[in-house]
Amino acid sequence: MKKFLAMALLILSALMTGCGGDESAGNGRLSVMLQSNIVSLDSAQATDSASFEVIADCIDGLMQLDADGKAVPALAQDYDVSEDGRTYTFHLREAIWANGEEVTAEDFIFAWRRHCVESSKYAYIMGSTVACIKNADAVIRKEISPEHLGVYAIGSKTLVVELDAPVSFFPSLMCFPAFYPINENFYNSLEKNSYGTSPETFLSNGAFKLADYVPGAASIQLVKNNSYWDAARVSLENLQYQVVSSSDNALTAFKNKTLNLAVINGNQVVNVQNDPELSQNLQTIPTGLLNYLSFNQDYKNNHGGALANANLRLAISNAIDRESLVDNYVMNGSQATYTAIPLRFAANAKTGEYFAADQKQFSDVVSFDVEKARGFLEKAKSELGAENFSLELIYANDSGDTVVKVAQAIKSQVEGNLPGVTLNLQPMPKAEYLDRVTTNSYDIAITSWAPDYDDPMTFFTLWTTEGCEIAEHWSNADYDKIIAECTIGDLAARYDERWSAMYDAERILLENAVISPLYTNAVANLISSNVSGIEFHSVAIERAYKSAKVQ
Amino acid sequence: MTKYIAKRLIMSLLTLFAIIFVLFILIRIMPGNPFPVERMSAEMILQKRLELGLDKPILVQFADYISMLMGGSFGNGTSLYNGAPIKPIMLKCLENSFKIGVLSILFGTLVGLIIGITAALHRGKFLDGLCTIVSILGVCIPSYVFMIFLQYFFSYKIPMFPYFFDPSRFLSSAVMPAMSLSLFAISTVARFTRNEMVEVMNSDYVKLAEAKGLYGLQLIRRHVLRNALIPIVTVIAPLVVDLLTGAMVIEKIYGINGVGKLMVDAIAGQGVDYNYVLALGIVFSALYIGIMLLLDILYGIIDPRIRLAAKD
Repeated sequence: MKKFLAMALLILSALMTGCGGDESAGNGRLSVMLQSNIVSLDSAQATDSASFEVIADCIDGLMQLDADGKAVPALAQDYDVSEDGRTYTFHLREAIWANGEEVTAEDFIFAWRRHCVESSKYAYIMGSTVACIKNADAVIRKEISPEHLGVYAIGSKTLVVELDAPVSFFPSLMCFPAFYPINENFYNSLEKNSYGTSPETFLSNGAFKLADYVPGAASIQLVKNNSYWDAARVSLENLQYQVVSSSDNALTAFKNKTLNLAVINGNQVVNVQNDPELSQNLQTIPTGLLNYLSFNQDYKNNHGGALANANLRLAISNAIDRESLVDNYVMNGSQATYTAIPLRFAANAKTGEYFAADQKQFSDVVSFDVEKARGFLEKAKSELGAENFSLELIYANDSGDTVVKVAQAIKSQVEGNLPGVTLNLQPMPKAEYLDRVTTNSYDIAITSWAPDYDDPMTFFTLWTTEGCEIAEHWSNADYDKIIAECTIGDLAARYDERWSAMYDAERILLENAVISPLYTNAVANLISSNVSGIEFHSVAIERAYKSAKVQ
Repeated sequence: MTKYIAKRLIMSLLTLFAIIFVLFILIRIMPGNPFPVERMSAEMILQKRLELGLDKPILVQFADYISMLMGGSFGNGTSLYNGAPIKPIMLKCLENSFKIGVLSILFGTLVGLIIGITAALHRGKFLDGLCTIVSILGVCIPSYVFMIFLQYFFSYKIPMFPYFFDPSRFLSSAVMPAMSLSLFAISTVARFTRNEMVEVMNSDYVKLAEAKGLYGLQLIRRHVLRNALIPIVTVIAPLVVDLLTGAMVIEKIYGINGVGKLMVDAIAGQGVDYNYVLALGIVFSALYIGIMLLLDILYGIIDPRIRLAAKD
């Protein structure tokens, strides 16, 4: 018995050593929250903003976003554009990978070709709808060999990119991780499929190095990369990511000082605002994520039939009180949106004004006006010869309760304002939700889309006939024509005309109520008062820590 | 005995095969597919499906899978969701869940036995009632609720342990999850131990032993506990598998990179990762079957009468 007691004491004392919280504060150590696991550190596999954020911590691309979200040179010291806007020449600066090898133009070529050859999830961004890199579509379709991709090296420090059309936002596109370099020798020395699955299989050239990571891990440790070309700018020694799936847990961990940056939900924001201490830590950051209703116009599996009628769609869209949604249900600083393009995104290069700055532009078709909505409904009823419409509203309910509350609010608003319309709520896991929207087995879906690059086209290409998989099954020749002209056609080179043509496209879209915009997301962050310099962006890389400081 | 074990082994393999088959079919029926479709075109998804052979008839796919499994690889050996290799990641996660599982089994069985024996020795008295209340509470309170409670008091109110799991401080991070996981084991073991012991203590051979003058620890250890152990081992075995295969909610709350969390992420992430779900399903089933097999052999060691019966 005595032996046992002695053992117990020994174990207890072993456990107690090294205990005690409060390790996150100070010493250049920053601990930030992620809301879900990162998908992958391989840019060819990543699909989520969290992955892109961590990749961008560790790898620099040709360009990077500055504090205001403008693209400024990173690994490229500067660049030249040919007169026709179809050839970009990037001059690389002296920079090395963490293993001491030089960063060369070949590293970019290798990474870009790999995206096309492996038809990665973001391969489309190389192709004719976005970057328009010469021959990218044919390489992705495996019609020609990857050597024909329009990207060449002149010496080790000059990268030439040939485009099929002038792409006005090409430099800002270079901030996106799909265009980051990968060291070819290093990659080839690894076992197949193992790139980016551990600190040993991931090579950085950026501000931080990977210190501890396994795929699916709930915590990721990064340390400062002293061989980074701009190391003088980086003051953090340690950057830790912690996945916290419940926001209650996040709030407690923030109070406990385990986290320096926590994301909280709408209900918590109200409580935090009433707390004199915590309210000083609250920062609401607007994002580029647009939440909208997608109407299925294709009649399949008994879904979407009545929604082929534009007046019914317009009736629903005008019966929703978006201000009430954000003020009473979302409550995290998100803003009601009446355009197909989110607020605070895609600033005009000449005027500096955001594309969606004028929210009243389409108020004749997107607004909250019960009389107008009922008018549309009467037209729909006579056109369809029906009095009652029973529609289902689907949404993914596994990422917090905000969307659940929004769905309930939309149901009560639509049913209250439009007699005869019934919305049946159908919450489901995200995997099933994605399955339903891609197989047209839905009537109305609460959808969201985040921009991949800093141009309205990242949204507009969603609704073309050839558009993405969450398709409303709407097809309009005029719309398609404008989009084609703005991407690979004549307008691509004419900035002002392109800009106004995109407003024309947006009008077609909203007059037909292909979608019903709801609100632009904001993120309510709690940030420790001793932390400064974290940069927030609405496109591609949501948070950057190169200039972050902990006092 | 060898023949008996061989027979059991073959049965186990057949069971495993049946499980794989059912799992394989069920996963395909489940809503969702392995590709996070938002940014891939239909053409690209089709190409991926062709590459992975997902277009073939399901029975052909199953045959392919079994032949790859014989070759020691779970499907094509990578996650369909992010292309990462399965084996090293699963091993890492298994290791984490195992370590915490073992801690909680040791703790749970030990405490459970002590509570059970105490209750049996004081049957009908105050201590017995107290032990019963404790063990009923243990069954009723879900382990993750207890975990949240521990997290709140012992790392938020009194910062004794890390708020989230920290692999670099394994032992102090493991205390709270191991304790909460052991709650169920404690109460189950305690209840069974008490009931079995009470029964055994009323039996004639214990009365005889007492009459011969045996008492105290010697009596408990030699005669009572040994006879009471068989049913207890039977309830512990499935508990062991439960604890080793991770705790989905606790791993999620506390941020432990274990197999429970891995399984949930594979099913309820953006896409359904067929390869991961199957691989984990196979490993979990194999563990369960393996432990049950071990258990049958253990019976023979604890109680030679069972060994004799098997021979007949």
